[in-house]
Amino acid sequence: MFISKKHLQRRTFLKGAGVSLALPLLDSMVPAQTPLDKTAAKITRRMGFVYVPHGMVMAQFTPVREGANFKLTRILQPLEPFKENIVVVTGLHHKSAYSAGEGGDDHGRSPSTWLTGVHPKMTEGEDVRAGTTIDQMAAERISQDTIFPSLEVATEDTTGLVGACAVGYSCTYINTISWRNPTTPNPMEINPRVLFDRLVGEGRDANERMARMQQDRSILDRVTNKVNRLKGALGPGDQLRFDEYLENIREIERRIQLAEKQNNSRVGLPDSPAGIPDSWDEHVKLLFDLQALAFQADMTRVSTFMMARELSSRSYPWIGVPDPHHATSHHQNDPEKLEKNAKIQTYHLSLFGYFLNKLKNTQDGQGNLLDHSLLLYGSCMSNSNVHDHGPLPVVVAGGAGGNLRGWRHLKYPDQTPMSNLLLSLLEKAEVRVDSVGDSTGRLTDF
Amino acid sequence: MACFLFSFGLIGFWALPSSAAPQVGWPATDAAPHRQFLNTYCITCHNQRLKTAGLLLDQIDIAKIPVNAEVWEKVIRRLRAGTMPPQGMPKPEKASVDALASYLETSIDTAAAMAPNPGRASAHRMNRVEYGNAIRDLLALNVDTSTLLPADDASYGFDNNADVLKLSPILLERYLSAAWNVSRQAIGDGAIQPSDTTFRVRPDLSQDVHVEGLPLGTHGGLIFKHRFPLEGDYIFRVRLWRTTQDQIRGLAEPHQLEITLDGSRVLLQSIGGSEDYRTMVKSAGTSEADIDRRLTLSIPVKAGEHTVGVAFLRHSDAIDDAALEPFERTTLDPASYLGVPHIDRVTLTGPFDAKGGGDTASRRKIFVCKATASTDEIGCARRILSQLARQAFRRPVTANDMEALLGSYQEGRNTGTFETGIEMALRAILADPEFLFRLEPDPAGAAVNASYRLGDLELASRLAFFLWSSLPDEQLLQLATEGKLKDKAVLEQQVRRMLADRRSAALTDNFAAQWLYLRNLTNVIPDPQEFGDFDEALRSAFRRETEMFFESVIREDRSVLDLLNGNYTFVNERLARHYGIPNITGENFQRVTLADPTRWGLLGKGSTLAVTSLSNRTSPVIRGKWILTNILGTPPGAPPPNVPALKESKGGAAHLTLRQRMEQHRANDPCASCHKVMDPIGFAMENFDAVGAWRGKDEGNTIIDAAAVLADGSKINGPVGLREAIEQRPEQFARTVSEKLLTYALGRGLEYTDMPAVRSILREAGKRDYRFSSLVIGIVESTPFQMKKKFGKSGDQPVAGLPLPRSFSSAARNAP
Repeated sequence: MFISKKHLQRRTFLKGAGVSLALPLLDSMVPAQTPLDKTAAKITRRMGFVYVPHGMVMAQFTPVREGANFKLTRILQPLEPFKENIVVVTGLHHKSAYSAGEGGDDHGRSPSTWLTGVHPKMTEGEDVRAGTTIDQMAAERISQDTIFPSLEVATEDTTGLVGACAVGYSCTYINTISWRNPTTPNPMEINPRVLFDRLVGEGRDANERMARMQQDRSILDRVTNKVNRLKGALGPGDQLRFDEYLENIREIERRIQLAEKQNNSRVGLPDSPAGIPDSWDEHVKLLFDLQALAFQADMTRVSTFMMARELSSRSYPWIGVPDPHHATSHHQNDPEKLEKNAKIQTYHLSLFGYFLNKLKNTQDGQGNLLDHSLLLYGSCMSNSNVHDHGPLPVVVAGGAGGNLRGWRHLKYPDQTPMSNLLLSLLEKAEVRVDSVGDSTGRLTDF
Repeated sequence: MACFLFSFGLIGFWALPSSAAPQVGWPATDAAPHRQFLNTYCITCHNQRLKTAGLLLDQIDIAKIPVNAEVWEKVIRRLRAGTMPPQGMPKPEKASVDALASYLETSIDTAAAMAPNPGRASAHRMNRVEYGNAIRDLLALNVDTSTLLPADDASYGFDNNADVLKLSPILLERYLSAAWNVSRQAIGDGAIQPSDTTFRVRPDLSQDVHVEGLPLGTHGGLIFKHRFPLEGDYIFRVRLWRTTQDQIRGLAEPHQLEITLDGSRVLLQSIGGSEDYRTMVKSAGTSEADIDRRLTLSIPVKAGEHTVGVAFLRHSDAIDDAALEPFERTTLDPASYLGVPHIDRVTLTGPFDAKGGGDTASRRKIFVCKATASTDEIGCARRILSQLARQAFRRPVTANDMEALLGSYQEGRNTGTFETGIEMALRAILADPEFLFRLEPDPAGAAVNASYRLGDLELASRLAFFLWSSLPDEQLLQLATEGKLKDKAVLEQQVRRMLADRRSAALTDNFAAQWLYLRNLTNVIPDPQEFGDFDEALRSAFRRETEMFFESVIREDRSVLDLLNGNYTFVNERLARHYGIPNITGENFQRVTLADPTRWGLLGKGSTLAVTSLSNRTSPVIRGKWILTNILGTPPGAPPPNVPALKESKGGAAHLTLRQRMEQHRANDPCASCHKVMDPIGFAMENFDAVGAWRGKDEGNTIIDAAAVLADGSKINGPVGLREAIEQRPEQFARTVSEKLLTYALGRGLEYTDMPAVRSILREAGKRDYRFSSLVIGIVESTPFQMKKKFGKSGDQPVAGLPLPRSFSSAARNAP
């Protein structure tokens, strides 16, 4: 569904303040054809994945008691208003994120293992390889009739992070948490304005957009012919690459067809956000707003969000942590540094709470978006000081359209593969696959 | 045990022999003494039984070196770096080490000369920067590519690595969208809708002083270039900085704000004074709305690029309370509404009542003819499109091309005007794989596994993307079409011409800015509590200084060794004050000779020192690692998993300095092998604080001890001692620059098969004092740059080889 974009002198968006702009945005732009009036009978499920780097202070994260109605710990405290919508899962490990003898840096493996359960290949060359991430598996099954099968967003501008990649690994591994297939990473967008423009579509009105789509198709036809013609003369590696090119063209053509069918709603919109806010807090909230918007308008049903990047040196002076995150995460069990880590982690969860709040307050069919979503929040490390990849900090949120019961702390036997949760999450979203990465089965009683 | 120790494989560059460059025509030596050398010094560990570091030398054929070049290159690397045999083992004479290394190098290089192996070359997708430059050169249009395309992932330190510049549906979608966007802007399509563009002032830019480029007599503000897509009305909105309570700062006194367009005043507005101040105190919201309205302006602007300036006139009596503080930065207190007003951002919206594309540089570049009668249209379209396609595809245009493009043209023409047709065809060009990719198809009849010389056109593209990060220009293209780039003299003349052209600034913006981490400055946000002086003015001065320093080496064709020890730099007043250089005034950068040797070369630059620090303190480890990686070309491996925690001094124990704690860390066995190399380098630089200012005491108020013992046992003191130690081995730095530059030029990681080329580049450049042009010409004439290999079906194509120099330590990391 495209939404027409009118120019309005709207102060809210220009102001660029996360909270104040978000509500008018969502309220005013509910498109004519939301799932609200067309899917009352059938629940549309969404999946979201939110990644944070550098593990968690597990002692302040893990609830003491198992089972239902557990008491929230300090780090989980910001989720108190949503405790009936969350499940904390402990005891899980991502063994594939450990070195398999090649050494190398755990920070490079963590983002690509998190949603794959696969051990990524240590390389900076053509043989970059991880696995298909579960967001993409889900997108292929539940999000094919939306214009954007999935959204991938992040906050850090990687062009200013030269050399801040894991030793021996291409920066690809650390710049994204979403892989379309084992050799194709999905780039992540950081600019809220670009994301907004992508979602709503550029162009004056539905007619112009329709014309543009037809022109794009004609251009793609020519590109297809040319790629086919050029391919023969290329080396085998490049031929493979150009086969992928053709696949990508078909995927874009499919989306255009879809968009053409749905290009009919006319709802006024405020201006797009004015780029990347100076405040990181606002930046994160704005990106959550846009993901919520995309879910609400059924422009996509799957999103991944790398809230911060592995090895991030971001400091958080506004919450009392002027120290760089990565250096602080090597806390050496120093109580002062542990406290700083816990502060950052609590703060990150409060931002996730902002997203939950947004979803909960957005009506969707008979319920709200949170009821119909299944969200995974976590890191691919537990104790960052030693780069442990288990027991991982995991929060699952949302009702998964009635498939998931909240306010539970599920404790699994230590060393249970995290991939088993990935498999179970897909099942809750009614995506059936046999295995994910190193999974050994679904989690019981999940 | 001794064998195990060195499996962590380090990297004591300090023991490097002083003459690493092999001699040409080294006499063929009988292999027997070298076998003897291996038997005596190497096979104790490197044998079939122990398999130390996976390197087996006991049965390897010493007479047939090139067959095992991959293994031998690792050996050469170790021997030349002086790390093998390791300390504690019998040490051979330096002469016999050199003799073995030279024997190995000569054997490999001789074989490589007879059967050149250029290695892999993947189809190269244009990265975001190259795309922007190509649009600039093709269409005389500057576009903000950061909103058009996603950022590119880097490998081997650069974001132009063909192997990881992959395509995905998102990217394809973005390229299509960019083609639409760019073509309508270039043409000046009347259908362009009003949109906003916002220019921000970084919150840490001090605004109580004059900003470079703005009229004299003003202070604060910002100046920027903006491309107004169509002639029409545009709304300018200036937003002033406000406190966390939404109060506009600095309203107590009257001020005058000026907006200029191309230097001419278009608005002069008074703000502040008792009435505005009272309103602000009473109701921040009312005050905001009122001031925002007064700082809004709608004026007609002609299409094209214009310079917009926004600043305060400097005649206010207001005293910025920050001026009374010992800090340069004036926005430290986010809650204070006192002082002078600051500009937060400027938003331009338009065009409204658009009057067409006007006469822009882009339109002049595109419309080389005018179709006055409809009968001329096809002929004119043909001229326009063949010219655009030639430049975009970097080759002569074929009949096939024209047929396709005229098809697109016609499609557009059918729905609109002549210009609509051109726009549609331009869109097709910008989405064409031959524009977006550098393809180097194998010539018909080339045999599998054979190496062949690239065609001139492919070479012209490699050259232009290497030196300009952009398309070849017509002169280069014409020479390539005529097959003249095969002529060495012509090629060299072109390289010199291209280096002299302003477009070679791309080498600074892309090569140097990544090699030296200049791009990271944008993320350098020192803790304001610790570094209240640091602000955007200083940050951008850091960047500018190093850019100008690097550029001076290109422009003046200086020796790259000057980068290490050049006794000059470029400073403006702000930076000079930071460095303690007297008598420099104004914002303009001027060249100065550095009396203070601590500031010589890259190691004394604020940019280097800041990007290797943490937000609240220096990090000797990061500085050491940076120098090992980027100056000495011997990066340390990744830290082993499960680093043991530092034993920190708790409670009652005496406070330990950072250095003392690190020394404890190093006492730890698995850490020591790396840290004993990295840390001393960083310790020697401790007199530079986290923002590169000189200091006598550290964060804990302890006097800095900058004496250090380097890994080879030599004692140094402070940054000068460190630099002089590095200067002992000029060829090592030259090699690092060459390897980085070759990696960048090829857009792939280096492999062992590239080492003969690296040695050849260094040999020739060494004869010319390592002048910048001599390195570039060496690269351009090298086998991997000039040649390509035809690979057969899958299996023949080598897996992306182990890169240098990392490969030589990665093998070690594989050891148990």
